[in-house]
Amino acid sequence: MGAPVTDPDRSTEPEDTAVTDAAASTLSGSELVLQYSSSDDPIIGGESIAAEPGAVTALVGPNGSGKSTLLKGLANQLAPEGGSVLLGGDDVQSMGTKALARKLGLLSQESTSPSSITVEDLVYHGRYPYRGFFESISDADREAVERAISLAGCGHLRGREVGSLSGGQKQLAWIAMVLAQETDVLLLDEPTTFLDLHHQLTVIEIIKRLREESDITVVVVLHDIEQAARLADHMIVLEDGEIRARGAPSEVVTESLLEAVFRIDADVELTERGPRIDPLRARNDGNEPDRDDAESRRHDGTEATE
Amino acid sequence: MSKRKSTVGPDPTAPSSAKESRFGWLFDPNLITVVLGSLAIVFAGGLIQVSYGAYSMTFAQAWAAVFNPNVVFNPQAWDAFLLGETMPEMSTESLIVWNIRLPRVFVAALVGMNLGVSGAIFQAVTRNELASPFILGVSSGAGLMILLTLVVFGSLTAFLPLIAALGGAGAFLIVYVIAWKNGTSPVRLVLAGVIVGTVFGSLQTALFFFADDIGVVQSAIAWTTGSLTGTDWEQVRLVLPWSFVVVLLSVAGSRQMNVMLLGEQTAKSLGMSIEKVRFALSGVAVLAAAASIAVAGIVGFVGLIVPHMVRNLVGSDSKKLIIGCLFVGPALMVGADVGARLALSPTQIPVGIVTGLLGGPYFLYLMRKQENMGEI
Repeated sequence: MGAPVTDPDRSTEPEDTAVTDAAASTLSGSELVLQYSSSDDPIIGGESIAAEPGAVTALVGPNGSGKSTLLKGLANQLAPEGGSVLLGGDDVQSMGTKALARKLGLLSQESTSPSSITVEDLVYHGRYPYRGFFESISDADREAVERAISLAGCGHLRGREVGSLSGGQKQLAWIAMVLAQETDVLLLDEPTTFLDLHHQLTVIEIIKRLREESDITVVVVLHDIEQAARLADHMIVLEDGEIRARGAPSEVVTESLLEAVFRIDADVELTERGPRIDPLRARNDGNEPDRDDAESRRHDGTEATE
Repeated sequence: MSKRKSTVGPDPTAPSSAKESRFGWLFDPNLITVVLGSLAIVFAGGLIQVSYGAYSMTFAQAWAAVFNPNVVFNPQAWDAFLLGETMPEMSTESLIVWNIRLPRVFVAALVGMNLGVSGAIFQAVTRNELASPFILGVSSGAGLMILLTLVVFGSLTAFLPLIAALGGAGAFLIVYVIAWKNGTSPVRLVLAGVIVGTVFGSLQTALFFFADDIGVVQSAIAWTTGSLTGTDWEQVRLVLPWSFVVVLLSVAGSRQMNVMLLGEQTAKSLGMSIEKVRFALSGVAVLAAAASIAVAGIVGFVGLIVPHMVRNLVGSDSKKLIIGCLFVGPALMVGADVGARLALSPTQIPVGIVTGLLGGPYFLYLMRKQENMGEI
């Protein structure tokens, strides 16, 4: 199986191939201020973040801490009020939309599609940034789609209509679609939330294979801290729009951090498969965050369903 | 991976059988059935239209006149039809069939085509199954300009088709300006369409009070409900070039529509410049609607029902949807015009009345059958 790295034949800009893979897959945001037009206060107030090239970076944090917003800012879905995002040395805002989509893929939290589209057709949409207005499907497109489908393990679903799939199967189809984009950087917004354990582990396996078999840089928002700690090479903890901790999972996931950021009492035990978290009870010390969760969910919701 | 071996007929086991060739998706049995069925209806409707009327002839006579080799293979006759040059000599039957009755069938087919495609595009752009070509203010803008021309600027009546089409396009631009606030969204576009439609609709109704004779009112009603009475080759010449453009752009743009249906966020993350694409697609749809208004007035329901019917038959893939609409639209329009012209003969009623009478019950049927309508 070929690794889903950018196919040099299809690259339209010659300078792409000149840059080494490691440089192409660097993603960093500096002094990012992110805000929705409907709210007065910024969700993210001037944070800097760098994704480790070729590795998996996990973003964790309580509900409403700004994880999804940060991801949207990195993907240029939300234009920053301040600061900038650099992808392979270029400012994402100055890149063309299709050029950006050839280098950076984003899987949103809630994806909608017409229910009668087949999985295969959905995955072919991942080739959109590579096709001109009148261009038809090329062999490179076909190969990329085949690689993506096999990597996401949804070959048996190929001919099925998306509307007839379970939540987990749908997610695999969507993952295949972003993989068909063949980007250097992949941003995944809560890819395992709402899935059963089997499909959660399948998604995690896909991310692990991406790390092992390619130079792709993955930034993933995860709800489950333990899952994040086991998967990621690098963790970033957000609370209320601020980065509270970053580093290797074993250093970041501590009892005191869980107490301070997630407001729970928990036992953390370091095992060879990563930290093991045993949540005991929620803390009610009256130390509520400033912004309530309902508001932030409203932002997420309206953006996701538009 | 298997290579370009063009296999007719879908094979569910083989990977990407539909992707083998550029036009492989056309060999969808449902789509072929829809196309052939529609052609049969257009053909039957056309034959009825050319056979019946004030000068009655038998089917055999009409048939002979339609396929009269002296007309069909006469370049001079086609010059007369398509370029408006002088008509060559021909038999009375041929003259009636070719010069009076057939052009009306052609105009009906072209109007149906344009309205079907226009509706399909607007439903994709607004992601709402209940959108029609006239949702973004096109019909109210055209209607207001029609009334203004007939009632106030009577001397401009000769330019009515053009003025109506421009009015529709102008109203669409106003809707877009109102809806724009750091970009648009389907909901804001529809709301702006309702606002413009309400205001222009009121003004249009108010103008009826200033109409001084019944002829003007009847003419206004014919234009605002949609009528094919009195259409001939001039209307064909008017609408045909635009129809070509619309067909070309809508077929080419169908992949953009498919990506748009994945949702704004996904479309953006795939690198689509969503505002540009939305405006361009809307522009094509408005062009189609304006072209049909210019020759037939505001024919309601066709643009709403046709994409619905096609989607039920071939699924929501925009490529198939557009192709289906190109055939089902003409079938509906030609069929409805048979009723409009012959049902109360010798009185001809506006075809828009017939499409409305067909459209209402069809929607009732859909409402009973489908559990949730609305979002695609």
